[in-house]
Amino acid sequence: MKELELKKLWQDTNEKLEENFVINKKNIDEVTRVKVHSILGSMKPIKIFALLVGILWVGIGMIALSSIYLNSFNEANKFFLFSASIQVGLTAISLYIYLYQLITIYQIDITEPIIRTQEKLSSLKISTLWVTRLLFLQLPVWTTFWWNETMLTDWGILQWVVTLFFTISFTVIAIWLFFSIKFENRNKKWFQLIFSGKEWTPLVKSMELLEQVEDYKGQNAST
Amino acid sequence: MHRKKQQQFFQEIIEQHKGILFKVARTYCPDEEERQDLIQEMMIQIWQSVHKYNDQYKITTWLYRISLNVAISFYRKSSTRAKKHTVLNEQMAEMPTEEKSENEQHLNLLNQFIGELKEIDKALMILYLEDKSHIEIAEILGISVSNVGTKMGRIKNKLKTRFSQL
Repeated sequence: MKELELKKLWQDTNEKLEENFVINKKNIDEVTRVKVHSILGSMKPIKIFALLVGILWVGIGMIALSSIYLNSFNEANKFFLFSASIQVGLTAISLYIYLYQLITIYQIDITEPIIRTQEKLSSLKISTLWVTRLLFLQLPVWTTFWWNETMLTDWGILQWVVTLFFTISFTVIAIWLFFSIKFENRNKKWFQLIFSGKEWTPLVKSMELLEQVEDYKGQNAST
Repeated sequence: MHRKKQQQFFQEIIEQHKGILFKVARTYCPDEEERQDLIQEMMIQIWQSVHKYNDQYKITTWLYRISLNVAISFYRKSSTRAKKHTVLNEQMAEMPTEEKSENEQHLNLLNQFIGELKEIDKALMILYLEDKSHIEIAEILGISVSNVGTKMGRIKNKLKTRFSQL
């Protein structure tokens, strides 16, 4: 079939279908009156809530830890202190990511060209990967916060072997995942296994879309 | 722009260019029920952006940008958005039952071909079938005119191959 015939077929068919496609005037008015939550708008309250809870958590954590560092450092359990400091520090970095996402949401303009808007939206979604990386990085800390100085004197070899096995394994896995969970590894089997659940579908789809965007942008740069 | 003028402008563009919304929604959303949600979302985004419109671009360029951006983003949100939207009148968009035409075979093949395309390629295909100029397509997608030509060439070749198998 020739190009022109194909276009005509498409246009004629759509024209016929459009004749029966009705948008009531009443409903057009409704859109201008009803306060609705749009796709982008609906994302904001969740992010804002997460940001506020995070600020509260980090704030309380920092005040409590600062107080220990300043007033009772010598008496404090150092294992707990350092583990808690790392945890609060990593949560603070997650807060920075949430802030970045919030700023990006406000900057997205749906009237901009497709490639630019979709790149921003996909990058926004993919930045969620950073939160996952930080979540994994916190793993070893959860195996050390309960340690104390009496372990050094009272524990036998078996207890040490078991404890160190978990801590070292968690540390190696956490560091490896931290450096390996990235967009470039999206096609690896282990990556697809981690992100195989239904809840990750939007993230995976964003990655596919970013791949398309890069394909278009790549050609843009080379032309 | 004053609110009343904005409302009037919004009504005019929806009435005059509802076809754009319909075509984009039909291409990206085969499911009729979801399609109505998609059109509603497009209208909401158009209304929320009306104050930003300036005549630097043609109204159709502006509308294609919004409707395509919404349609491409829509597929990621379909599971969560339904709960968050205020339900408007269910009869808002009355979709027609597709009529059978004598060129049904060609049309089916074309629809099948478009359905298999990736999201951004789909956008390019709609604009091509709508006979948009390379300049307007470049403005809608945000790529260079020569890139439009290159990409279009690839899709047309695929299309040609598909139709030659008939």
